Amino acid sequence: MSENTVPLLEARGITKAYGNVAALTGINFKLDRGEIVGLVGDNGAGKSTLVKTLCGAHQPTDGHIFVEGEEVHFSSPKESRMRGIEVVYQDLALANELSVAENIFLGREMKQPGFLGVIGTMNRKAMRASAVETLESLAIEIKSVETRCGTMSGGQRQAVAVARAIMWGSKVLLLDEPTAALAVAESDKIAGLVAGVKDKGVGVILVSHNLPQVHELCDRVVVLLRGRVVTELRRGEYSIDDMVSWITGAALHKR
Amino acid sequence: MTDEAFELEQGQRSLETERRLARRRRFIQQLQQQGLVLVLIIVVCIMWASSPYFMSKYNLLTAASVVSILGIMAVTETLLVIAAEIDISIGGVMALVSVVVGILVGRGLNVWLASAIGMAVAALVGVINGVITVQFKINSLVTTLGTFSIATGLAYVLSGTTTVQISGSGFGFLGSGYIATIPSTVYFFIGIWLVGAFIARYTTLGRHIYATGDNIDAADRSGIRPNRIRIGLFIFNSVAAGFAGLVVTSELSSSAPQLGDPYLLAVVTAVILGGASLSGGRGRLSGTLLAVAILGVVQNGFALLEFSSYLQNLVTGCLLILAVLVDQFVRRAER
Repeated sequence: MSENTVPLLEARGITKAYGNVAALTGINFKLDRGEIVGLVGDNGAGKSTLVKTLCGAHQPTDGHIFVEGEEVHFSSPKESRMRGIEVVYQDLALANELSVAENIFLGREMKQPGFLGVIGTMNRKAMRASAVETLESLAIEIKSVETRCGTMSGGQRQAVAVARAIMWGSKVLLLDEPTAALAVAESDKIAGLVAGVKDKGVGVILVSHNLPQVHELCDRVVVLLRGRVVTELRRGEYSIDDMVSWITGAALHKR
Repeated sequence: MTDEAFELEQGQRSLETERRLARRRRFIQQLQQQGLVLVLIIVVCIMWASSPYFMSKYNLLTAASVVSILGIMAVTETLLVIAAEIDISIGGVMALVSVVVGILVGRGLNVWLASAIGMAVAALVGVINGVITVQFKINSLVTTLGTFSIATGLAYVLSGTTTVQISGSGFGFLGSGYIATIPSTVYFFIGIWLVGAFIARYTTLGRHIYATGDNIDAADRSGIRPNRIRIGLFIFNSVAAGFAGLVVTSELSSSAPQLGDPYLLAVVTAVILGGASLSGGRGRLSGTLLAVAILGVVQNGFALLEFSSYLQNLVTGCLLILAVLVDQFVRRAER
């Protein structure tokens, strides 16, 4: 099927300039279904700018973005979300006073059948059951879907945010430093979660400074240096030391 | 310790912390709600012991009738506070509506038509409150302080500080009618309370109001329209204040520019005492109902014991500050 040969998300020749300063120069980037691509680079290498450009928070100065082969021009993250691209933020995504189930269904509540539904009455039981199902399918361990999100740890909150995105049909997940603020045990759980998401055919872009984790999780790693893609590393074909030498630019001088 | 054992312990520890926090939260919430019940029982007992008239049916119905007027506004104000906004223009809106109706009736207009126009004026103030607060990202405390002053000023300018007699066409029923020996205002309050409580607890709109006050970015990202919700609540609240203004006008059989004065402090106190948090996202209408009842008993008690109304202001002010402190304490305890 042709669907499988067209990348899920593709960027061609993306350039982003702020006045005379080029933050990104001629970036080519591809993401397939069920693929986890790492995005690494030193501070200021352009990772965040690229993520923001892909999700529509910034508009590229030049270049093209394609979703499933169709060219798109996102003027805001809202538009990219409608095309199934979801940036998962740890803090922005959830309402603290609402429960896990309530957060997962926020804005898309199930209603009661009949007259009660017409006047806007929610079917809380069905939402709880469905939330439990989604969490189980992603192997997310949370004591109860009625737990308030404000009382949960950073990792759990992130897991709920990811579950929410998956449940509502996101095809591309952008995770920007998902494990930066987490304890080691929690950080490993996120890794498991990302692997579960991959099994559902969702493409994941992982921006991270945690190089061992990137090395372990990612099918492919794109290394950025001063706004350019300097190399792409494939799973099993490189060591963490190789990655470091590309990130610092040392690998360029060796050649 | 091996890595695995360490991780296991970490995992269990975070699960335990989570459970402990959830337990503590439930405990505090119950304490807050039951604390209100307890306070209500205490003030009722004190009044019962101090005045032989307090427990008479006539007195209780009078007290309910009086407090229902602030109750009507407390319901909509609670929803607004849950959405992390506040409206302190309600006293001004009551006065303006009263004066507008008085002038129109004075010119020979039908009372009910005049009332409808008065309500439209109230809605307009709500639109101004909502649009300015939301579109220009202004703290609603400031916006509504402004509209309070404008509405009050307008009420005095229009009326020339005089009162206008209003009577006829059954208008008196609004403020001093009875159905089955129960005052009409009590029905209005209970009706609005039931609608508000149903919306808050069972409907998608209610959930979206909570989400708006809790995390407006998350609400916006979820496809909820928090701005529309907030503007809607400002209008709803202003209309409730306008209606309360009509009820008081009917009760007094005359319009007066100072008739909204005593209500603002009482309404805000009822809302905060009832457990709604000024930082938004939290509050229950059952709490507001209990707080309104407490204020009703206190107000009635002051009248029965012939304490000065200044003393009543003093006590209400203390209650307000106490309620804010409790809210702050609850938030801190949950961390």
